[in-house]
Amino acid sequence: MIVTTEETREVITGNHAVSHGARLARAQVISAYPITPQTQVVELLSSFCEDGSLDAKFIQVESEHSAMAALVGASSVGARCFTATSAHGLALMHEMLHWAAGARLPIVMANINRAMGAPWSVWTDQNDSLSQRDTGWMQIYCESNQEVLDTVIQAYKTAERVALPAMLVLDAFVLSHTAEPVEIPSQEAVDDFLPPYEPDLRLSTEDPHSFSGLATPDTYMEFRYGIQKSMERALEEFQRVDDEFYEAFGRRYGLIEQYRTDGAELLLVTSSTITSTARVVIDELRDSGRHVGLLKIRLFRPFPGELLRSLVANAKKLAVIDRNIGFGVGGIFAQEIRAALYNHIQIPVFGFVAGLGGRDVRPSLIREVIEYAETHEEPEDLIWKGVKL
Amino acid sequence: MSKKVSFSGFSDMPPVTVSQGSMSFNATGNWRYLRPVYSEKLAPCRNLCPAGTDVPKVLALIAEEKFEEAYHLIWKTNPLPAICGRVCYHPCESSCTRSGIDAGVSVQALERFVSEMCLDLQPDLPSVKNSGKTVAVVGSGPAGLSCAAFLARDGVNVTVFEAEERPGGMLRIGIPSYRLPRNILDRELEKIARLGVAFECSCKVGKDLTFASLRRNYDAVFVATGAHSSRIPPPLRDSRDLVMTGLDFLKATNLSTPPEIGKLVVVVGGGNTAMDAARTAVRLGAQPVVVYRRSREEMPAGDEEVREAEEEGVDFIFLASPTAVQRNSRGLEIEFQEMVLGPPDGSGRRRPIPVSGSSFTRQADTVILAIGEDADLSLLSTYEADPGVFVGGDAQTGSSTVPDAVAAGRQAALAILRYVGVPASESATLSKPANHFSLDALNPDYFAVFPRVEPRHLDVETRLSGFPEIIQTISSLEAVQEAQRCIPCGVCNQCDNCWLYCPEGAISRVNGAYSIDLNYCKGCGICVQECPRGVISLVQEES
Amino acid sequence: MDENLVVPDAELLTPGHLGCQGCGAALAMRYVLKALGEKTIVVLPACCFSIIAGPFPYSALKIPLLHTAFETAAVTASGVRAGLDCQGDSETTVLAWAGDGGTFDIGLQALSGTAERNDNILYICYDNEAYMNTGVQRSSATPWGAWTTTTPHAKRKFKKDIMLIMAAHRIPYAATASVAYPEDLIAKVKTAKKTKGTRFIHLLAPCPPGWKISSEQTIKFARLAVQTRIFPLYEVEDGTRYRFHDISEPASVEEYLKAQGRFKNLSEEDFELIQEQVEERWAYLIGLAAMTGAGNG
Repeated sequence: MIVTTEETREVITGNHAVSHGARLARAQVISAYPITPQTQVVELLSSFCEDGSLDAKFIQVESEHSAMAALVGASSVGARCFTATSAHGLALMHEMLHWAAGARLPIVMANINRAMGAPWSVWTDQNDSLSQRDTGWMQIYCESNQEVLDTVIQAYKTAERVALPAMLVLDAFVLSHTAEPVEIPSQEAVDDFLPPYEPDLRLSTEDPHSFSGLATPDTYMEFRYGIQKSMERALEEFQRVDDEFYEAFGRRYGLIEQYRTDGAELLLVTSSTITSTARVVIDELRDSGRHVGLLKIRLFRPFPGELLRSLVANAKKLAVIDRNIGFGVGGIFAQEIRAALYNHIQIPVFGFVAGLGGRDVRPSLIREVIEYAETHEEPEDLIWKGVKL
Repeated sequence: MSKKVSFSGFSDMPPVTVSQGSMSFNATGNWRYLRPVYSEKLAPCRNLCPAGTDVPKVLALIAEEKFEEAYHLIWKTNPLPAICGRVCYHPCESSCTRSGIDAGVSVQALERFVSEMCLDLQPDLPSVKNSGKTVAVVGSGPAGLSCAAFLARDGVNVTVFEAEERPGGMLRIGIPSYRLPRNILDRELEKIARLGVAFECSCKVGKDLTFASLRRNYDAVFVATGAHSSRIPPPLRDSRDLVMTGLDFLKATNLSTPPEIGKLVVVVGGGNTAMDAARTAVRLGAQPVVVYRRSREEMPAGDEEVREAEEEGVDFIFLASPTAVQRNSRGLEIEFQEMVLGPPDGSGRRRPIPVSGSSFTRQADTVILAIGEDADLSLLSTYEADPGVFVGGDAQTGSSTVPDAVAAGRQAALAILRYVGVPASESATLSKPANHFSLDALNPDYFAVFPRVEPRHLDVETRLSGFPEIIQTISSLEAVQEAQRCIPCGVCNQCDNCWLYCPEGAISRVNGAYSIDLNYCKGCGICVQECPRGVISLVQEES
Repeated sequence: MDENLVVPDAELLTPGHLGCQGCGAALAMRYVLKALGEKTIVVLPACCFSIIAGPFPYSALKIPLLHTAFETAAVTASGVRAGLDCQGDSETTVLAWAGDGGTFDIGLQALSGTAERNDNILYICYDNEAYMNTGVQRSSATPWGAWTTTTPHAKRKFKKDIMLIMAAHRIPYAATASVAYPEDLIAKVKTAKKTKGTRFIHLLAPCPPGWKISSEQTIKFARLAVQTRIFPLYEVEDGTRYRFHDISEPASVEEYLKAQGRFKNLSEEDFELIQEQVEERWAYLIGLAAMTGAGNG
């Protein structure tokens, strides 16, 4: 295996950025099942395994459920594990997502956001990953291919520190199949940043134990308490890892990114690639003197509520764009934000749902969102944008 | 057992659901309502052995090629194994559980094999010092020899008095040498003599020596004079001079010169003496016919004896009883009455009832009566209340078998030892299990059909060339193979099944036996069911 | 004596486990661990053994044990294997230990995947012929004619032939075994241990409550199943080479069926039909073996 010492800059797709991230993190066991739009991730990883640029066992399973089950096994003996999936694949994994988190296994996965059927869709929205909100996985929503690659590495470091699995999320096609220039760090630098995975407890004949056996009502709840405590700790750890990453590689993303928020009365809140489009609109409106700014929520689980409250303290209104729908309520990010604020700050939150099933979210739509929020005093929970009635 | 693990809360719990202790803390024994217990059962062979030999253990030793150990174990209850290995009626074989699978184990052939392997071996006896006590044994038949041997074992000075020139009693007088070669008898006698037993032969108590003097000179007396008084059917009592008794015929043949019996010989009777007489007659050139008043089924003679007699050309007439004998010009004419079988009598056999007007006659050169022998205890008429005088064997029971006499001798020895105040060395290992083996307890899945080793018999022609021994000794290979057929019923042979099949792993091997950890045994009963030979029983657990 | 037939002394299943009285599965595990030894990791999906092995914080196994979801025994074992391989540990045996439900039904897909990849694991299905842990519901391993709580009269579908399915994957070693024949079972496990690739053992483990038999009869019926050829003992190498441990005179199925409470609703005609089925299956198996070029062993 070649240990690169030089950082290189290549134009690669989001999917390949995922593969490079897993390669640089020296994933030891990979198990995956192909699904559009994730396929290039596993294709490139297969090549890496075959040409020796990654020394990993690739278990080519017959389903996503098995992919996660295989990683539960491999991670239990102390291997660093990776998989990638999307939409229905993630849904099929659902049971094992709970299992991995409950067993405290720091598996890292990339989920390419794709809308759920029925009807069939292959295009992006966030309902697949957000449906896994309560499985105990960390979730990080990425905006660029560079962030994707960097987040794979950050996710391992955080996950292994807090013994919880992590899922990084990127939009189907908008990132997965779109090439961008990406700085690919050297293996040497990543090795320095990310030490090998050495769990305190592992499944081993040297120290035989039973793992994940039946917990009665007498003990089950304490393990759930432990997961929550680790999630809370993960907030700090993720920030610390982001800082360490900055020191090592000169890039940082934060848990929530502020974009031109100085003196903003209205804050637009986005996640994933809608953020990039929003940046253009914010620039334009700021330059024309409007008091608007942008918050990009990168870390969804654990949810950085306290950080959010500090960032919105001086704003008068929030406008949240959700590329997802919690049926019967509204956008999921908006719900989370309202929940984070409610006991602490009284601030109107406008909830917009847009871009489902891969529908374009264009600058004009974002302008309308801002306009709507600026011109309405009473907040509304659910405002559909771009739906053809 | 391991300890229970408990936590006060999150702070002292492991971070993941990982075991901290063993389930062995969990005493599943309290689920149990039935408890398995190892309790050996009395095997039918051992139960029915007149001598009380621990047959299953003897066979186990043979199976392991421990022939000498087997010999010593036999000797603990039977000092005449080379003899019983030939002449016993072996109820061990007919009762053998294997007869329900294929065929009973050839126990007699094995006993004979072992005793022959150990013909030069003295029994392994405990070392005891001479007690200074003296016992006179009257009669050197199997009962007297057995008693003498067991008394000598425990340090008693024994003198055996024998009326004949050589010791052996009925063994020498009555049993033809084709069944019991005399060299075998002599070797067994030598071994007993080597234990310190003195033999006074040609000394008939009551004639050469008074019983009173004997009683005076010895601490105790054992009377084992046998049953030598042959019965004569009442209708023939007046013709006593025309007939010969079976015992007289055999004694003459076995001890000195065979009498002239001519060609046509009629033997009356259906017991072993009748068979021995008829077959001896064949060997002397006669053509004997056996006449028995019941049918073949009721014959008291051993089945094998009858079969061999038939093979050798002995004719049989059943359901006929002699009513008269008289001399005529050609020799003797004997008249019979035909019989039919009525309801069973006291012996359990069907009673013969004469058919009136159905007589027939038979010409004979010699008529031999062999319808049974009785004891003559007139010697003892004044000693009935003397606690120092003991009686055993045929003298007590009337004509019976060699192993019964051996057993009686041993019982007498134990009684005499107690009487003269000498402790018996017989160990508790001879005590038999209280519960009998039940066929229900046998698990037939563990016993495949395996052919029985049959000892070779001489062909008829060779047999009739004289008095060579008919049955041959089996080889050591055959012996081991045959001994391995033994189940053994109700006796643990460490087959490991209980250990193997316990779902709890609660059974362990301890010092050549098994131990059940009752902390864990759930009482499922598999060990009981899968014990091939019924050693383990289930008992109700008290609540 | 064939070294393979020796039953090792070491006990790697501790007493105190939660198997019912006369549990065939517990016995099966006891034998298998004897054969495999301490260098073994067990992967356990939902099944009776999830309970038998004991709740947190205990274990009834003296070797490492990983509980996993119902349908994942084979592939979780594949993952454990891959993880060990990364660490250079090729010595440890990875044993997937699943019931019939987790094998014949919900876990079949993952098992097929593992077998197709020929992942280096040993998969043992201890078959008690129904979902016993959940209270005796029918599975595709439940035999024709058996009562279960979801076939209240009698199941009228035949048992799935898992061995032929596995043999069709051309895995290097597949075998049937019965708890009534521990030496045979242990020899097969030892053979499996020495073989590389996916190895499959279909192990009949009677369940007294589920079969409605008394607890001491576990071995009796595990033996009769073999003696009747309802559950013939055989091995298949590479999916083609068959080796039979035949019994010369098979017992009649009636003896097996009549004494079990779960078959109490069957009629004489049913017995005959089952007898015919057993003979047909046997002939089929022998024919298949002959066709694929194997002989009796």
